[in-house]
Amino acid sequence: MSTNIFWQESPIGKTERQKLLNQKGCVVWITGLSGSGKSTLACSLSRELYTRGKLSYILDGDNLRHGLNKDLGFKAEDRVENIRRVGEVAKLFADAGLICIASLISPYRKDRDACREMMQGSSFIEVYMNMSLQLCEARDPKGLYKLARAGKIKGFTGIDDPYESPLNCEIELKEKEGECPSPVTMAEEVIAYLEAKGFLQNQ
Amino acid sequence: MEGLAIRASRPSIICSLPGLDGGSQRLPLSDGFLRLPTSSYAADKPKLVAKSASLHPISAVNVSAQASLTANFPALSETNVKEERINGDKNKPENIVWHESSICRCDRQQLLQQKGCVIWITGLSGSGKSTVACALSKALFERGKLTYTLDGDNVRHGLNRDLTFKAEDRTENIRRIGEVAKLFADVGVICIASLISPYRRDRDECRSLLPEGDFVEVFMDVPLSVCESRDPKGLYKLARAGKIKGFTGIDDPYEAPLNCEVVLKHTGDDDSCSPRQMAEHIISYLQNKGYLEG
Repeated sequence: MSTNIFWQESPIGKTERQKLLNQKGCVVWITGLSGSGKSTLACSLSRELYTRGKLSYILDGDNLRHGLNKDLGFKAEDRVENIRRVGEVAKLFADAGLICIASLISPYRKDRDACREMMQGSSFIEVYMNMSLQLCEARDPKGLYKLARAGKIKGFTGIDDPYESPLNCEIELKEKEGECPSPVTMAEEVIAYLEAKGFLQNQ
Repeated sequence: MEGLAIRASRPSIICSLPGLDGGSQRLPLSDGFLRLPTSSYAADKPKLVAKSASLHPISAVNVSAQASLTANFPALSETNVKEERINGDKNKPENIVWHESSICRCDRQQLLQQKGCVIWITGLSGSGKSTVACALSKALFERGKLTYTLDGDNVRHGLNRDLTFKAEDRTENIRRIGEVAKLFADVGVICIASLISPYRRDRDECRSLLPEGDFVEVFMDVPLSVCESRDPKGLYKLARAGKIKGFTGIDDPYEAPLNCEVVLKHTGDDDSCSPRQMAEHIISYLQNKGYLEG
């Protein structure tokens, strides 16, 4: 790292921004197989937060790959870098006082844990969409499982690349008696957690 | 690569919102945009099928001084717009589609009572970029506006910690900051980016990422001699001694903007041009362009 770099202090910091927004900045990191409902939950959560007057923003793995991460492919090292960059941006958003909802497969525990480390504190909330491969494949919203089964995509998570489920996530959402809860129900569960931890109260 | 922006063809939503002064405003919520890569294969034309939803006007109630909203939104289904699979060219990840967020930029702007944009402060080392950025963020905060500062140095400790000062890394540094600033602007934040960014082409690339008007380039027009006499980080001294190579202004060029929105010119009189006054100058610009209202 070059030594020609100095930290710049700004008088307006996270505390002031949080006061302005009446919320505490944090990262809600939604992880799970393709088709497990990550983006659907992210949408629902951001909508429910908005109705409560809270500012959130969704960083979707797919959206970012069209912009910041457009130089990255799906090779192993690019996947790691993809997650690292999303983590760094999420950290900036949380510092800005936003409730940043990151919605990515993020299949490797090591990479998710590295993002948690980056946040330095209790503001990393890991949400595991624990939906069965069978359910995800039946949905196949982007037609990717079909392509993966036909061998047209290699290294597809759940088919020929592993998904390492979280060991200590803050919230786990799963099917109940074979039925997936509605997006709003799942969003409410995340909101209840945020409320209990003080992220949504007046600062 | 440039994409084709396609407007989702579903009815736009009109929100009735009682204003703080008791009057009412009708504010359009913008439709979500789906941006698809332009296809060089005629057979792979992306198609959108919009399902028309029966939407009705909604009213937002209970607008507090903090502009927090409680609203009943119509049932916006995530399947309102159906997408065909997109086959991109071999250089692009094929397995990506855009996801639409049901809360759009317009909603967030209404919540924040401001419009997101990027204030890109450029100039030589020691020209006062970070000082003005600080003063600007403070002055805007005092007006109840949310800003966030991306400083070249701060970002190099995190997102861009893998980059050096080689030419290609400098370009990548600026590109990534531009992309992040764009995200912040989309949130509705007034994002202040403060970095030397010496090459016109790189700054213009960042400008092209944003909608017209949302990129506000601020040029710290300060002579090299003044910057060098300040030398706040001791870098000019090191550069003159040959201990740093390719240092902007000494042995690497600074390309001044040709068409920036704001020029802050050093007058030599510190009383008439304090950081606060320079910040107010930028704020006047933002006010005139409507960025300080929802």
